[in-house]
Amino acid sequence: MESDIDDHSPLTVAVPQSLSSDDVESLLTGANIWDRSGPIPFEHVIGNSPEDLSNSARFSCCLLPSDPGREWLGSLIRLNSDNFIECFDGMDLGDLCPIIGSDPKSKHHLLVCLSTRSAYHLPVARKFVTALRHRGLIKEATAPAVEMAVQEAFANSLIHGNLALTTSGRLSMDRFNELGDETKKRLASTTYGDRAIVLTAKKRKNGHIVISINDQGAGFTPRKETDETTMPGQESTFGRGLPLIKSLCHSVTFARGGRTIKLTFDQIESDVLSADPAFIREFDAQSSIDAALRTPQNATILIADDTMLSREIIASYLRSDGFTNLVFAKDGEDALSQAKAHNPDLIILDIIMPKLDGYEVCKALRADPQFAETPIIAQTALEENEGRTRIFDDGATDLILKPLNKAELIARTKIHLENRLLVKQLRAYRERTQSELDLARDMQENLNPAPEQYRGTGFDYGMRISATFQMSSELGGDMWGLVPIDEQRLGVYIVDFAGHGLGAALNTFRLHSLIWSDQIRDPDPGAYLSNLNRHLKGLLPIGQYATMLYGIIDRSQKTFSYASAACTSPVLGDSTTGTARYLDGSGVPLGVIRDARYETREVPFDQNSFLLLYSDALIETTLDDGQFLSEEKLLSMVHETVMESSSDVDLAAQIADQFMDRAPVQLSDDFTVVSLQSANGANGFTARDETQ
Amino acid sequence: MNYNTEQTDKTTTVELTGRFTFGDHSNFRKLIEEMRAHQSETHVLDVAGIEFIDSAGLGMLLLARDEGEKARATVVLRGAQGQVKRMLEVARFDTLFKLED
Repeated sequence: MESDIDDHSPLTVAVPQSLSSDDVESLLTGANIWDRSGPIPFEHVIGNSPEDLSNSARFSCCLLPSDPGREWLGSLIRLNSDNFIECFDGMDLGDLCPIIGSDPKSKHHLLVCLSTRSAYHLPVARKFVTALRHRGLIKEATAPAVEMAVQEAFANSLIHGNLALTTSGRLSMDRFNELGDETKKRLASTTYGDRAIVLTAKKRKNGHIVISINDQGAGFTPRKETDETTMPGQESTFGRGLPLIKSLCHSVTFARGGRTIKLTFDQIESDVLSADPAFIREFDAQSSIDAALRTPQNATILIADDTMLSREIIASYLRSDGFTNLVFAKDGEDALSQAKAHNPDLIILDIIMPKLDGYEVCKALRADPQFAETPIIAQTALEENEGRTRIFDDGATDLILKPLNKAELIARTKIHLENRLLVKQLRAYRERTQSELDLARDMQENLNPAPEQYRGTGFDYGMRISATFQMSSELGGDMWGLVPIDEQRLGVYIVDFAGHGLGAALNTFRLHSLIWSDQIRDPDPGAYLSNLNRHLKGLLPIGQYATMLYGIIDRSQKTFSYASAACTSPVLGDSTTGTARYLDGSGVPLGVIRDARYETREVPFDQNSFLLLYSDALIETTLDDGQFLSEEKLLSMVHETVMESSSDVDLAAQIADQFMDRAPVQLSDDFTVVSLQSANGANGFTARDETQ
Repeated sequence: MNYNTEQTDKTTTVELTGRFTFGDHSNFRKLIEEMRAHQSETHVLDVAGIEFIDSAGLGMLLLARDEGEKARATVVLRGAQGQVKRMLEVARFDTLFKLED
């Protein structure tokens, strides 16, 4: 498993609060999974749920509690780590250790290790694929095929491998029921249920992604290639997805006696990955070193010409003007390999050459992103117009006629090298602007309360508060916050400025300072919004506006009173039944008219109530089915989430996790979800009025 | 996977929602028992609300068809879209079921 370059620095490990320190210690030191020798210092960062752990910190490993549930499975996307390992009783990794502790030179980009017992009930394939998307390892377009293949391979390894169940042949209902009972029994047993399953993903240099699924079963011998089109529909009905897997992958191979299946997916590299910026920053840092600026005289120039005399003439002209980093190619194929080997800053290319002519070389170079912008000067004796235009079509930057004129050659070489330098400088400038924008992003994110703040505040009011915020690809206009009023009353607001980009971001700063200034102290939400609107109207340029909800949860009155300025309709529900309904979110947006009046609405909010606030990105993002999340679907998602988990669930985090599984990685608008749930005594939270 | 059954006249309509995968044994078993009790002439499995199905899920749909045949009922698959539609096509379910949009 990965470690840092320095062998003495401690490894940072994310640890769920529910794990005993003995278990953690024995897993970390007992299993031979680290690529270091000698005692390893560990630094534990402990959290009650993934939401408590910082999503900006880098973890060498993230431990998952026994039976992690959907909540901890969500850490695959929430936490910056490549390794996620469930810590469970009876864990015996055996020959899986070398897979987990793979050679640092070919380390995996993502690894998940789970017990069969918990993996069986979790949407592992889906979460794994969402995690790959967010790390930029697979493209949005390939994701559905990858998910289907991983799902089948994972089911095979789990059911036929670890649980050792045979399901070949067409099932009858009776046999199906027997299998169901047997599955339950084996999941509960230590022999089968405690077996581990490990999923890994690696990206190869050629852009292929290799996913391996490793089990601890008896292994399996792939049958002789039968009809590839035979699908589970015909003979065998259950879990025999191998033909399907093969149809979805570039290749499928087996290792460890059939206990490891490796799926290779091929992806066209030139396509732009829509990766989560947080994950690709590391990659970018490396590539910018390669792209260090060079001065024209230091430039590497590739001269491709089939006659030695021509090569020598060009070289002597260039040398006389101070260009000394020259490399040569004697035909078209050689030109391509020299280009790859030396990454030249400029290429002087003869059109008529053996093996591959200049046209083909040009095309091949332009197809490779590495040479997409490298200046290519074609030289030729051809004087017909056709040949000239064709070489430009194929991607040449410039054309120079033979016999060569020294002054012309040098002039053109210099111009193109200078252009290239300018482009590079422009890019560097753009990168600097980007880093300033990143700073602004950080500042804007800091307008929202941090987990330890809202968790603590929630605790003080006998509530479990959960929130997820993801900024759009640009700067956005979302913001939320908590305003403690007195011992019984907690204020909450959520804001969405129209548009995004710098303007919207600046407006959130304006509004944030207004909210936290002493000018506005109305105890009534309607009056509060009216007053805030008056102040904001004076600050905002015409045409800019915000939607906002401000509400107060009163623990002693058991009410939630609020006012809304065209905010998305809040969801109010009951934790015991999971039923929920929309509240009225209508009202004039802030900053539109000076004397807008806002009505205060009041609803009951007791020890079973929960409240969900969200920005419109939740309901206005196109999901994988090509549709928005409808009002009805959101309510049923809330209902299922509440009913599936016990009452102590981070509702907003769970809703966000399900949304991320189905939404593109890069959102076009800020995404905010906040939930406030009354915590009943069962989960350790107690309301303040009961403790004092 | 979750489901909702509704019986009108001689037709039982089952609306399935969520992900339908290998872990859905017990829910599916309950569903089959409910369908048996209804004794309808036509069973409509409305899969429009299914967002993802794997080959085990397909296997379970086949079981539902077998159950229907035993009771001399017609089993119809309705409303498949996206990934579900793709899986049904790959598995040639059009030859095994009556498919409706």
